[in-house]
Amino acid sequence: MVGKYLKTTALALALGGWAGMAGAADPSLDLVGPLSDYKIYVAENTGKLVEDVTAFTAAVKAGELDKAKSLFAPTRTSYEKIEPIAELFSDLDSSIDARADDFEKAEQDPEFTGFHRIEYGLWHEGSTDGLGEYADKLLADVQTLNDRINALTFPPEVVVGGAAVLMEEVAATKISGEEDRYSRTDLWDFDANFEGAEKIYTLLRPMVAADAEFTSKVDGNFKAVADVLSKYRTPEGGFVSYEELTDTDRNVLSAKVNTLAEDLATLRGKLGLG
Amino acid sequence: MAGPNRRNILLGLGVGAVSAVSARAETRNVDDAPAGHAETAAKSVPFYGRHQAGIVTPRPAAGIVAAFDVVATSLDDLERMLKALTLRAAFLTQGGKVPTRDPKLPPADSGLLGPVIAPDNLTITLGFGASFFDRDGLSGLMPARLERMAQFPNDALEAEMCHGDISIQFCANLQDTNIHALRDVVKNLSEFLVLRWVIEGTVPPVPPAPDGSTPSARNFLGFRDGSANPDSNDTAAMDRIVWAGADEPDWAADGSYQVVRIIRNFVERWDRTALSEQERIMGRIKHSGAPMDRPDAGERDLPDFAADPAGDKTAMDAHIRLANPRDAASQQNLILRRPFNYSRGAVRNGQLDQGLLFICYQRDLQAGFITVQNRLNGEPLEEYIKPVGGGYFFVPPGVSGPQDYLGARLIAEARRA
Ligand code: HEM
Repeated sequence: MVGKYLKTTALALALGGWAGMAGAADPSLDLVGPLSDYKIYVAENTGKLVEDVTAFTAAVKAGELDKAKSLFAPTRTSYEKIEPIAELFSDLDSSIDARADDFEKAEQDPEFTGFHRIEYGLWHEGSTDGLGEYADKLLADVQTLNDRINALTFPPEVVVGGAAVLMEEVAATKISGEEDRYSRTDLWDFDANFEGAEKIYTLLRPMVAADAEFTSKVDGNFKAVADVLSKYRTPEGGFVSYEELTDTDRNVLSAKVNTLAEDLATLRGKLGLG
Repeated sequence: MAGPNRRNILLGLGVGAVSAVSARAETRNVDDAPAGHAETAAKSVPFYGRHQAGIVTPRPAAGIVAAFDVVATSLDDLERMLKALTLRAAFLTQGGKVPTRDPKLPPADSGLLGPVIAPDNLTITLGFGASFFDRDGLSGLMPARLERMAQFPNDALEAEMCHGDISIQFCANLQDTNIHALRDVVKNLSEFLVLRWVIEGTVPPVPPAPDGSTPSARNFLGFRDGSANPDSNDTAAMDRIVWAGADEPDWAADGSYQVVRIIRNFVERWDRTALSEQERIMGRIKHSGAPMDRPDAGERDLPDFAADPAGDKTAMDAHIRLANPRDAASQQNLILRRPFNYSRGAVRNGQLDQGLLFICYQRDLQAGFITVQNRLNGEPLEEYIKPVGGGYFFVPPGVSGPQDYLGARLIAEARRA
């Protein structure tokens, strides 16, 4: 499996994916390694997303309610991990991942599609009825996303800035538990967002390692988050309902997320990207 | 109004990059605030002292209360948090130049006040809620009268506007100065503090009366508020009414109990109520603030309830009469009020969301606010007000100098225990 994505990625690279960076400042040169590693990571995730959405939407269309519900949260994680890149395509981000509050008529709005529209049907209405067209559209959208990402030249500042962006996302719209409001599977998304941010940070870490105070603070905060989340893991590898998150742990996550956002927001500057 | 005034301040301090010509053109037409704003912006309230500032120091025109939960649990982390907060408060209240950074990095400061921060009479006052002491090492050191705010009969408390491990009260001449300080604290202490709720209020600046005294500002019911407040310049009175010490853990001496209540006013209904009824409910003449039994007197003149035992002049259930019956016993229940008016848009039913950000300080929470509020329960004013949030906090003593920090005595006492 991985081989296939590697090939696609290598191809995109070979096709001059980095041309856009040719005129960039020196620091970008050191970024070539981390950036291409990140591109592989993203390609693996978009590939997995297509695969998982295929299975998820098939269950929805076959009317298999329980199966569809069990696939919902794990399917989303590949999307949540690569959100800084996925968000570059705002048309797709909106049709794949928008929430009811993004629309004037909320759940009843005809423009409301994607993961959360299906989530609304599965949990709130408790049925797969009428979800077929949303399933088809979701699958088509993630396929388009996959194609577009594979053809994309990753802007270095987007990748480097992406670690903070993920944390801003969690701080602004996730910590409150409004993301997966019908299924209460928010902790899966948190975990995926943190993994996505940590991936970027880990790839870039050697370039900022000289600032030991910075890396030890960021390392410590990622660890603290992992410790909190691990309390809520299920033996099957998933997470319990968001409702089980205690106020104390939510506060810890919130403080850590904001501090990570604060610190990771300096990565671009530290690496000389304006 | 804030825009042009702010510009004046910057120009006054000689740090504004604003074109003087355009600023002048604009201010001539728009600016009707009293002259001398640059002067008030440059004024500061001392940060170091026996007591925290922001309690008996004069109340400026703008206030914010923010309540946070504290993520730190160990004494070491609490010390780091308190030291970090002390450093920010010491800087922000005294003002100075904002450090510059490589422009590729996020700036060190929000920039709301420009490159040089004017102190603007800012005070930052820290309080500890009862839940702050739910930590190893602190539980035995909670101030003796502190508790979690409980519901009174007329309350409709909204969980998301109540309580908190700590409160921070910001007071300054301009709300921008408070907002800047709040943003600075949020940014610099994100590791420790999680915001629970925040509320902003203002009081109108009142021009001095012909005799030189300053009349009390009006609240959103249109009455002068503060007339019978104890004199905060009277140190003996403040020692008696405001500063805690006796029967408290050692560290708490020179601190004070802080009560914050977010009290919505049903202003539409109030405005449809007869003036005579409004005055009967409050127990004061609306326009002057005079007591009912001396309608031609001033707001500082006291009512004589003993001479009016049946409530012919001042109704027995008038707000001021219940709040302070002025008998010997009620002398034990005095409080120092420091409220602001708030206005925050509309509520669903199309009514204005306005009210009183009630803040008061006292030596003894039970004998002070709680007793007074219990006397007020059922007062006719309740038809027009609804407490929706707030909390009880204990304000630790002041910071003595650069080597000291907020709450240092508490942490030291906890380490010894
Ligand atoms: C929206 C709510 C409230 C409004 C509109 C209000 C308004 C007023 C007004 C107009 C006065 C008379 C002027 C003055 O002495 O300041 C007053 C006095 C006073 N109020 Fe309130 N008040 C409110 C809530 C409270 C609460 C919650 C308390 C304490 C539990 C309180 C305690 C007092 C006291 C102690 C006095 C002074 C009485 C005296 O010594 O004569 N008030 N208030």
